[in-house]
Amino acid sequence: MRVPLSWLRDYVEIELEPGVLAERLTLLGMEVKGIERWGADWQLVVVGELLTVEKHPRADRLSLTTVRIGDEVRSIVCGATNIRPGMRVPVALPGAVLPGGRRIERTEKMGVPSDGMLCSGDELQLTTDADGILILPGDTPLGADLSDLYGDIVLDVDVKPNRGDALSLVGLAREVSAATGAPLRWPETDAPETGPALDGRLSVEVREPGLCSRFVGRWVSGVRVGPAPDRVQMRLRAAGLRPVSNVVDASNYVMLELGKPTHAFDAAAVADGRIVVRRAATGEHLVTLDHVDRTLDPEILVIADPSGPLGLAGVIGGAASEVSESTTDVILESAIFDPVTIRRTGQRLGLRSEASLRFEKGQEVRLARIGADRVARLVAEWSGGSILAGAVDSAPDEPLEARVAFRPARVNRLLGIELARADQQALLERVGIATEEQDGSIDVVVSAEPMPLTIGVESADALIALVPTWRRDLQVEVDVAEEIARVHGYERIQPILPDTPMPAHRESPLALRDLVRDTLAGAGLTEVVTSALVSTRHLETFPLPADAGEPLDGDERAAGTPIGVTNPLSSEHAILRQELIGSLLDVVGGNLRQGRSDIAIFEVGKGYGRAGETAREWWRLAFALTGSAEPPAWNRVARPWDLDDAKGIVELLCRRIGALVPSYAPRLGDPILHPGRAADVESAGHLRGRIGELHPAVVDAWDLRAERIVVGELAIRGLAAGQPPTVRSTPIDRFPVVERDIAVVVDAAVPAAALDATIRGAAGELLCDVRLFDIYRGRPLGERERSLAFRLLLQAPDRTLTDEEIEAALEAVTAALAASHGAHLRA
Amino acid sequence: MDLASLTADLQRLRDVALAAIEAASDVATLEALEVASLGKKGELTLVLRGIGALPAEDRPRVGAVANDVRAAIEVALESRGGDLRRTALAARLGAETVDVTTPGRPIARGALHPIVETAGRIAEIFGQFGFVVSEGPEIEDDPTNFQMLNIPQDHPARDLWDTLYLDLPGRLLRTHTSPGQIRVMRAERPPIRALLPGRCYRYEAVDASHASEFFQVEGLMVDEGTTMGDLRGLLDEFARAMFGHDKRTRFRPGYYPFTEPSVAFDVECVVCGGSGCPACSRSGWMTILGAGMVHPVVLQYGGLDPERYQGFAFGMGVERIANLRHSVGDLRLYMENDLRFLEPFA
Repeated sequence: MRVPLSWLRDYVEIELEPGVLAERLTLLGMEVKGIERWGADWQLVVVGELLTVEKHPRADRLSLTTVRIGDEVRSIVCGATNIRPGMRVPVALPGAVLPGGRRIERTEKMGVPSDGMLCSGDELQLTTDADGILILPGDTPLGADLSDLYGDIVLDVDVKPNRGDALSLVGLAREVSAATGAPLRWPETDAPETGPALDGRLSVEVREPGLCSRFVGRWVSGVRVGPAPDRVQMRLRAAGLRPVSNVVDASNYVMLELGKPTHAFDAAAVADGRIVVRRAATGEHLVTLDHVDRTLDPEILVIADPSGPLGLAGVIGGAASEVSESTTDVILESAIFDPVTIRRTGQRLGLRSEASLRFEKGQEVRLARIGADRVARLVAEWSGGSILAGAVDSAPDEPLEARVAFRPARVNRLLGIELARADQQALLERVGIATEEQDGSIDVVVSAEPMPLTIGVESADALIALVPTWRRDLQVEVDVAEEIARVHGYERIQPILPDTPMPAHRESPLALRDLVRDTLAGAGLTEVVTSALVSTRHLETFPLPADAGEPLDGDERAAGTPIGVTNPLSSEHAILRQELIGSLLDVVGGNLRQGRSDIAIFEVGKGYGRAGETAREWWRLAFALTGSAEPPAWNRVARPWDLDDAKGIVELLCRRIGALVPSYAPRLGDPILHPGRAADVESAGHLRGRIGELHPAVVDAWDLRAERIVVGELAIRGLAAGQPPTVRSTPIDRFPVVERDIAVVVDAAVPAAALDATIRGAAGELLCDVRLFDIYRGRPLGERERSLAFRLLLQAPDRTLTDEEIEAALEAVTAALAASHGAHLRA
Repeated sequence: MDLASLTADLQRLRDVALAAIEAASDVATLEALEVASLGKKGELTLVLRGIGALPAEDRPRVGAVANDVRAAIEVALESRGGDLRRTALAARLGAETVDVTTPGRPIARGALHPIVETAGRIAEIFGQFGFVVSEGPEIEDDPTNFQMLNIPQDHPARDLWDTLYLDLPGRLLRTHTSPGQIRVMRAERPPIRALLPGRCYRYEAVDASHASEFFQVEGLMVDEGTTMGDLRGLLDEFARAMFGHDKRTRFRPGYYPFTEPSVAFDVECVVCGGSGCPACSRSGWMTILGAGMVHPVVLQYGGLDPERYQGFAFGMGVERIANLRHSVGDLRLYMENDLRFLEPFA
């Protein structure tokens, strides 16, 4: 809320510097988010007195004026007609800059030099009057800077949703009063009833008392609708509202002053002076003040007359009953509406007004009467009308202050302070909360609906806080505790370090995830964090593979269509992703477009899916590689990332998480991967996924300007909450390892993994490892042949192997390879 | 053969050998000379074969001369050999000189994302005070995200959390990590010290300071005697650990439906140090998190008796902390993943 300090001073004395005041309010819970110097942009605008006003010799619509400013007299050409000698007016001197950046220079108008400009209220953004020059009061000091006279300090106060009462100048003046001790000055809110008796001219029928708990109506007759006084317009402007007319401005003025929204109807538009508060009928229409024809329904509360709706209760008025220049009589509505109904109506129609915001937060019942009287008073004062005697009030009974019991000892225990009972009472007194003792047992309300909890305590242990009617936020004991704390000052609560019992040790669910992240960063990949909400385009290109989301931890498997957002911000972020590769390709694409060619990225993130009617979230690791595999350098030959790098990454991961060496199998039919360069990878029970080169068609379709992109996506056990393995040491072998190399020639279609498996199966228990170390194609081998060279490591735990043992193992291997794969040893 | 001529032969042999040694230009030549003069079939051996022809009384004298000659040649070989090896080494070292001013061969190291790292750092700091990480789902239901946190349907405070709803009945994307409070209280018994990091979502147009997806870290501490003083003390420790030990902090009223009293926690502006600048709206302070004493209703929904247990909760935006820590001015940078932004974090 924008709070002009000059206006706030009407209600409370303020001696503090604005910055200090702002800090005091902030520490009291009314956060001042900004301090604006209103009028700071009127530079070189001063007060002048018109000496002469004459017709321009060559232009009928211009006047030649002379203006005295202090000792000097200036000639200024002016187009306005409302000026006469003797008036005091704002003069923008050459060099002045007006709001909106307009710069004033010495000019010539139709051959006559003009040494500045006389300003309208609109040009200064002080009032809405753009036709005439702003006429200043006759006693305005000549030569004074306008910003000194009309400039103001405007505080931008962030009033929290529970403090609707403070969404007003009077409410904030109460807070200033609590901070400084200066007494509150209540505005004159009685309505001088100078007109005849209302006498049945106005009737109000509230058909929905549950939605409109009180309706106060008043009638002001004989109004002349026109602009509000300049001072009022300036205040509204500074507070951020556009002045409209004296009647509407009076309503807005009271909304800001007391926090009470009211509405003014042209009485002539209210049939028979009969107002009905009811639900709208299905299909009813109303053209609202913003000239939109709206279709209504029974969820919406309307203010109507016998012929139909006049306005949407608490949200916006109707165009037909709007106060206009021809209005002579106005009906003023000051009502209390159900916050939920107002909130829903505003949300459904996309209409949130200053009024509806205040209704949504709940209104003090008393304010219905006070607001009606105050608006009537101001309308009469500013528009010359007279207030008819008497008001219509649908529910004149006003509630008493609420009684909230609290235990001073409990307050201390919660806050960690030691404040005597009397001190707590004194603090509450500063915000208008009286306290009293009560005989007998006292019921302390710990929690209200929907989890009511009441504790009966001895009279001596509790006090009753008498909560003023405007403080609707104070309902239970802890609310009073907060009130004591904030008036006492949060800053006075002594910091301590906890000495209460510590919970038992528990492993962090991040441990294995962090290990995986660190492993990939160590391998040269940079971590990214991408949006979990993706576009439908992702979904079309990257449907969840049938085998993705395969549970590793015994979870339920995700299936079905992806989860969509019903109210997405944009189609780009409408679906919860099921896998991560699409997100990474967006990052790759973005960086390629920035001119990066070497990209290695990974993300540890979630896929989301349905499992029946419930949702499932599963952690995944994905990576994408393109460009050079190692940082380019003058002393290294560039090498592109390829599928073997992806395998290396997977194998490194398996070592780090304590999983077995992964196995690879050709992955066929994956629409996003190169059919000849894609693999399923698995390390039983620990890791499963797919790796491969992105299909060239996908590279094209996604406009990825890269030769090749290698991607991988893996489910890893423990990514959600697992722990890194504990390393168990093994004794160092005492007997030597024997290395034997064999090169076998096979049909080129025989996969290396098949040969590896055969070797392992045939070599017997002496074999401790097999490593592929070379692959050769070409002469003298046949066209469809290739040679694979394996190094076999043989060892026994208890002896040095003999040549016979080694040869036997090798012969078994050779025979098995020949039998299973038609392999023969390469010469 | 007589004594004199034999001695003369030996001396000539010595002179020739010494001259050759002196003239040798490399170690190999020297080794050949050694073999030629002192080897089993070398000249000295050859000369000494004539010793048998001498009278017995002359033999020791020739032997003495021969030993002198051998010693002289050995000394010369040793000396010259040392010289030559030194020269050869110096030549090799000279030949192997490289331009040491060229840059090294780069070793790849990827960057870890500042958001994940900052969340980790937060967890590490609170971990020192016994806070244990746990995580809740991102796909939540309305009761846990709102109602059990004392935010009923149609409550005006719901404006603080514009929500993205899902096409799963009753499900939404959590708007904050606070529902984790309920989940932790229901799963554990006090004493509770829990830290809940995670991704959150809001229906919010994206700009430099607003994101529709962002990360929060929630903290919860509940036992029989945790007070607002403990909250202040821990937050002070956190702020100092994160932003420096010289940083002042400020504790002021805030508003959340699920805490009462509620707190806003400020740290002295990390840009201007408190003197006031555009980054802190000239206030000298930056709000880094919201907190408060857990509302009795929330304790009840968590299955705890608010007459016995009390405690605090806090929640902070990870991006906010990372912004201040790493001088980042635009939230969008975190999810754009431009490598020029990320790589300095390697």
